[in-house]
Amino acid sequence: MDTNVSALVPRHVNGWRMGLANMLAKENFAWWHTRRWWIQILVAVLILNGSLALNIRDPLGALVDLQAINYLNTSALFVPILIVILAQDAILNERHSGTTAWVLSKPLQRPAFIFSKVIAYGLGFLVTWVLIPNIIFYIQLVAAGRVGLSIPGFIGLIALSYLNLLFYLTLALMLATLFDSRVPGLGISLLIAWTGPMQILARPMEKYVPWLEDILPWKLISSFGEPPLAGYLALGAKLPTVLPIIATVLWCVLFVAVAIWRTGREEF
Amino acid sequence: METALKTEVKMNWIINESTPPVIETHGLTKTYKGIEALKALDLQVQKNSICGFLGPNGAGKTTTIKLLLGLARPTGGSALIFGKDIKKENDQIRRKVGYLSQDPRYYDYMTARQTLRFTARFFYDGPKSEIESRVAETLELVGLTDKADRPIKGFSGGERQRLGIAQAQVNYPDLLILDEPAASLDPIGRHDVLEVMERLRKHSTIFYSTHILDDVQRVSDTVVILNKGTLVAQGPIEELLAGGQGNTFTLTVKGDSTGVETRLHSQPWVTGIETISKNGKVSWRIQVSDPEIAEDQLVPLAMAGGGVTVSEFGRKALKLEDVFMNIVEEDNHGH
Repeated sequence: MDTNVSALVPRHVNGWRMGLANMLAKENFAWWHTRRWWIQILVAVLILNGSLALNIRDPLGALVDLQAINYLNTSALFVPILIVILAQDAILNERHSGTTAWVLSKPLQRPAFIFSKVIAYGLGFLVTWVLIPNIIFYIQLVAAGRVGLSIPGFIGLIALSYLNLLFYLTLALMLATLFDSRVPGLGISLLIAWTGPMQILARPMEKYVPWLEDILPWKLISSFGEPPLAGYLALGAKLPTVLPIIATVLWCVLFVAVAIWRTGREEF
Repeated sequence: METALKTEVKMNWIINESTPPVIETHGLTKTYKGIEALKALDLQVQKNSICGFLGPNGAGKTTTIKLLLGLARPTGGSALIFGKDIKKENDQIRRKVGYLSQDPRYYDYMTARQTLRFTARFFYDGPKSEIESRVAETLELVGLTDKADRPIKGFSGGERQRLGIAQAQVNYPDLLILDEPAASLDPIGRHDVLEVMERLRKHSTIFYSTHILDDVQRVSDTVVILNKGTLVAQGPIEELLAGGQGNTFTLTVKGDSTGVETRLHSQPWVTGIETISKNGKVSWRIQVSDPEIAEDQLVPLAMAGGGVTVSEFGRKALKLEDVFMNIVEEDNHGH
């Protein structure tokens, strides 16, 4: 039973990666060795593909496209709520229960703690809320008779859906490091997610802050009278603008940077 | 006078030690929103000692521990662990430290074995078989082998505490920092924890905070007492006990005790007397300034008037609790 101490190989990773591999393994374990993954898939498929399945029976192409846009809008409106709730909990539950302080007393760097959440939740949500529902979405469209969908273009749609999700994931993680309660994070995230698609706000926004829709992820998968950028990609058409894509990527980077900065200053 | 004695004990102890201390703080200070939780703490913990860290609630014990581990930032002063600065070299310090928090929490979906494996993986890359062997060994040490593969969710407070001790020492730490390790345990659990600490002292220095003073007296070599964020005493436990209220004697007589108290009071080295009468016997608790004279003269003095027999006499055996209470109360009155 006695361990051969000298046979144990110490970890020598230093700097911001210290402890990352172990934390990431633990986060992935929590995603894929518990019920979490299949519950997420079940909920995602029920909400996104289930609502589409109920409305897509009409064989007319135009109506199918309309339902496809509805699918993307549903995804843009409801996925952020679930992502924000789950991602906030990733940080807040740990902070409130004391497990953050526990793991940070081990050889773990604070940036590694945040990166482990971003990577593991990013991967978990990619599979459960983006890949699987969107593959089923593609099958549903094809089954309903929609022709002319390009597979590379549809991969582009999936990429933009994922980018939209990453925006809310990183935003939620950042807000969870800034606030101790779930309310501000949920409020701010919902404000961003729901303001864009609200018809009542479309005119004032166009008048006073016309640039806003170009620097937020609204246009990625939501429809503003014109098809979302994901729709252009799905049909293999040229994108009218790439600004929202670049802006969203930059937001994600900024949110992660703020989360790391804030966690670095946190006292336990 | 007692405080002066404590300070003397502390200084002698520090000067006499030749090996570099494992923990060393210099004016370590922590302020939360204008309130000083820790005031210029100068603390030393020697290698391979078991150091009990005592103090009333809110004295600053947990704050000190969190500062040492880098979980909080000091507002002033400095601290070294293994000669390394807690602010600049905390990564290296944490590789050699094991920590048990006051209210240990782990991931509920994991089993005890998975928790220890996860903890060990922060320190070791492999090989897998050796890590598993170390995990099994640690589970056995704290008596959790039969519950190793049950989810932690169903663990009792005592079992969580045992797991806490296991995870704190899975990496063979040179320094174990335990915050109230026996707080939520029943007497058997407490006994087991103390036994584990005794076993670990061969390899590690143990710095632990507690409220259970009997335990401290049983296992600790040295004691640090904190009150309202200030260090009030520090030193080997025997010196603290001897230098404290060791100048109290108890004397019990049978017979005509009239005059005994007067004779005792008339002695210049008697500083205080407390009388207790029970079942025809009279007892006195006598505080003296010179214990050697008292030891020689108290019994003859009591019997000097005749008609009295001494049924009990001795120097009061002090408990750490008495010393602790005296020091803290004196410090409270002094402020």
